[in-house]
Amino acid sequence: MFVKDYMTRHPVMIDPTMSIVEAQGIMSETRVRHLPVVEGGKRLVGLITRERMRIPPTELASLNVWEITRFLSNLTAKDLMIKGENVITINPGATLEEAATVMVEQRIGCLPVLEEDIVIGIITEIDMLIQLAALLGGGVPGVRATVRMPNKKGEVAKAVSAIAAQGWGIYASGGVFAPKNPDFWDCVIKVRDVPKEKLAEVLSGIEGQELLDVREVS
Amino acid sequence: MTTHRMQSPVLKLEDVAISYETRYGDIEAVRSVSFEVPRATTFGIVGESGCGKSTVAFGIVDFLGANGKIVGGSIKFQGRELVGRSQAELRKLRGDQISMVYQDPMQALNPSVRIGEQLAEVLTVHRGISKDEAWQKSIDMLQRVYMPDAANVMGRYPHQISGGQQQRVVIAMALLNNPALLIMDEPTTALDVTVEAAVLDLIEDLKRDFETAIVYITHNLGVVARVCNYVGVMYAGEMVETAAIEDVYGKPQHPYTQGLMRCVPKLGTTKESSRLYPIRGRVPAPKDRPKGACIFAPRCDYVTDKCQNERPLLREIRPKHSARCFYSEQIDAGTWQPPKGLVPELASEVEQERQEPILQIKGLKTYYEQESKSMLSLVGMGEKQYVKAVDGISLQVPPGKTLGVVGESGCGKSTLAKTIIGLETPSNGSAEFLGFDIAQGVSERDQQLIQELQMVFQNPDSTMNPSYSVGHQISRPLQRFKTVPSNQVREEVIRLLHAVRLDGSYYDRLPRQLSGGEKQRVGIARAFASRPDLVLCDEPVSALDVSVQAAVLNLLLEIQREHGTTMLFIAHDLSVVRFFSDYVAVMYLGHIVEMGPAEAIYAPPYHPYTEALLSAVPIPDPTVAQKHIRLEGTVPSAMHPPSGCTFHTRCPRRAMLPDGGKICETQEPPWRYNTEEHRIYCHIPLEELREMEPVVTTG
Repeated sequence: MFVKDYMTRHPVMIDPTMSIVEAQGIMSETRVRHLPVVEGGKRLVGLITRERMRIPPTELASLNVWEITRFLSNLTAKDLMIKGENVITINPGATLEEAATVMVEQRIGCLPVLEEDIVIGIITEIDMLIQLAALLGGGVPGVRATVRMPNKKGEVAKAVSAIAAQGWGIYASGGVFAPKNPDFWDCVIKVRDVPKEKLAEVLSGIEGQELLDVREVS
Repeated sequence: MTTHRMQSPVLKLEDVAISYETRYGDIEAVRSVSFEVPRATTFGIVGESGCGKSTVAFGIVDFLGANGKIVGGSIKFQGRELVGRSQAELRKLRGDQISMVYQDPMQALNPSVRIGEQLAEVLTVHRGISKDEAWQKSIDMLQRVYMPDAANVMGRYPHQISGGQQQRVVIAMALLNNPALLIMDEPTTALDVTVEAAVLDLIEDLKRDFETAIVYITHNLGVVARVCNYVGVMYAGEMVETAAIEDVYGKPQHPYTQGLMRCVPKLGTTKESSRLYPIRGRVPAPKDRPKGACIFAPRCDYVTDKCQNERPLLREIRPKHSARCFYSEQIDAGTWQPPKGLVPELASEVEQERQEPILQIKGLKTYYEQESKSMLSLVGMGEKQYVKAVDGISLQVPPGKTLGVVGESGCGKSTLAKTIIGLETPSNGSAEFLGFDIAQGVSERDQQLIQELQMVFQNPDSTMNPSYSVGHQISRPLQRFKTVPSNQVREEVIRLLHAVRLDGSYYDRLPRQLSGGEKQRVGIARAFASRPDLVLCDEPVSALDVSVQAAVLNLLLEIQREHGTTMLFIAHDLSVVRFFSDYVAVMYLGHIVEMGPAEAIYAPPYHPYTEALLSAVPIPDPTVAQKHIRLEGTVPSAMHPPSGCTFHTRCPRRAMLPDGGKICETQEPPWRYNTEEHRIYCHIPLEELREMEPVVTTG
């Protein structure tokens, strides 16, 4: 799972000279929240986000009604954008979790993807959420079980082999440390074409593991 | 599972109108065109020539020329309005975000600059990167478009590579800047069917890998079915139907779309079983288009008063399927009956006793002498080299039948025709027509013989004297061969004009006053004026639009039935050949590799080359499954044809033979007779050839 496979290629981009009114129009027309600002051959020079569009009330208060229009119409992308070196970017070969970590640490919603300094795509929190849902088999009907297991080697294998022994197939799975309980590991397993009760029976029979939840999903 | 987010289209046209300023005032070439192209999809625009397809494409980037202008509507590219942008802004967009590929690659490439420099220039100019880096990136891109020996090609000039490779270079050039939108205007029309198939595969791959939105313009319904996700059908400057590809072919809603579907010969149909139904009339010129009425009304079979007085809007018939017709819901294309007189009643073919063939050719060779470049040749001692255009062809045609000749360009189809008609003198072999020897040039032939052998040419424009009237052109053969007494020439010309469905008023017209289809009709009338026994048709319909093509093919059939004329029909379009011919000969590099009755050619056993040709033909039906066989490279030079079987360098079936087909390189293959009439020139035994799956399976 690399950034280059999940980013949006050909993101909507604008020139630094574009008026902010027009940029706003593009944002609402295309329903995007981030506009990389590029120059000469898609070289990144900045980034405009919805937040950047908000004019601080202190600044507005000093203007009268007539001045606001003029103030806005003179504003260009260059004036409002996050400037070049301050834009946090990522390379296409990075993994999705690396991208997610950067976004969390920096509290930002998007990362322009650069190859050298040319913008080739953009990856946003929405892309991350889509892949999170996909990782856990979102939207595919089946039976979903959550198993709490000790944080030890071979525990996942136990659950997997119990399922495999029945001739069933796992179509999605994922695990995280149990909330507030780092000695345990919560694992979600999704199995297709089995009755809920039979899966529950098989999984609850594994020694040392606890079946937290089992349900049918669609 | 939702893996795709809701995204706005890359390109969105709304109610676009484009006009050209002419001396008659502004002429609206395109009006009310609306469509959208989502990312990573191909939107096809189809229609006959003069329908405004290219105008729309040029309009998107405002390439309309000095007299063209967008007069209404909006064109949004990634949310940004393009109408009204300055040329400087558009130029920047064209360089960075939008690329174009046109029909003729030679017009997009500079003939005097090496390919490498032309490619690297795109990067150095638009991105300002160093020359060395640009060079390396260009090589990578050439490899991406499957260019063999990319590094070497960089150092060549455009004329040193083949047409298909040139088009690859143009596509590579278009993709160097990784555009969000690619506009392709008939990118494969000038290419051979095998090359076309490879380029179409490439376009499909690139769309997937680069997530490029593509606007694909073509007149070929088969190509559309192969590459497009959505289609817009244009007629006389208006979009008359837009839908997903399966819907356009499966449930066409507009009478024009339905008509187009009836015009194209399908690969599965034969001369006996099927008819082509042309759409009557022709596309009106922009200034003659009906105002305040349905634009298709004059040609529509379902026309009512309402259509004459009110202009229908493009409306959604069902989700994602719109048509510009009042009666789309009521019209059922399945119950359509041809109106009277649309297609001529064909005289049923008289089953003749097996007769002596009218044309008999044995071991015919036509070589073109080539100047050697060595010093010795200056003093006449150099070794002579020959282009073996036709290299030992034997065939025969029974009277009243049609022999179709197919093959890629450069395989010698036209040379064969020219040799038979006498424009080239054969180097060896014998050719007999009605028992007369015709292995000599036309100037040595008896006038009567010339009279019996006539030809219809590909391009009607270049075969008619532009300053002679139609009547004059047709009457010339009549006077020369004294087919009718000199005082009846005029009546005879008018009779011939009627026979090709033109009225007497065409007598005094000049060629430039005729449309392409009409010119070809005159060409046919002229060929039939001397009442010949054998007519050679060299690609008679390939320059024509589909609806005109259908009419001309019907006309040829009708005249043939009426006069019992024998025909040699040369074409590169295998569906047309199948429709038209009784026998088919497949040519490759001056040889016939397979010959037999039409139905035998299109079913196993195939010669590997026939199989590859068939799998390359674009079929205007997205539900048909077709084998995927692509030939590598291009037809080798006829000056130094490969040894043994000339097809061995490209044959995809060689591996079927022991030793990887070593025998193919050393020995000429034998003729294998499947039936008495059907023969295949191949080393692979018939039993194995018979076991091959058919190329085309209808789903």
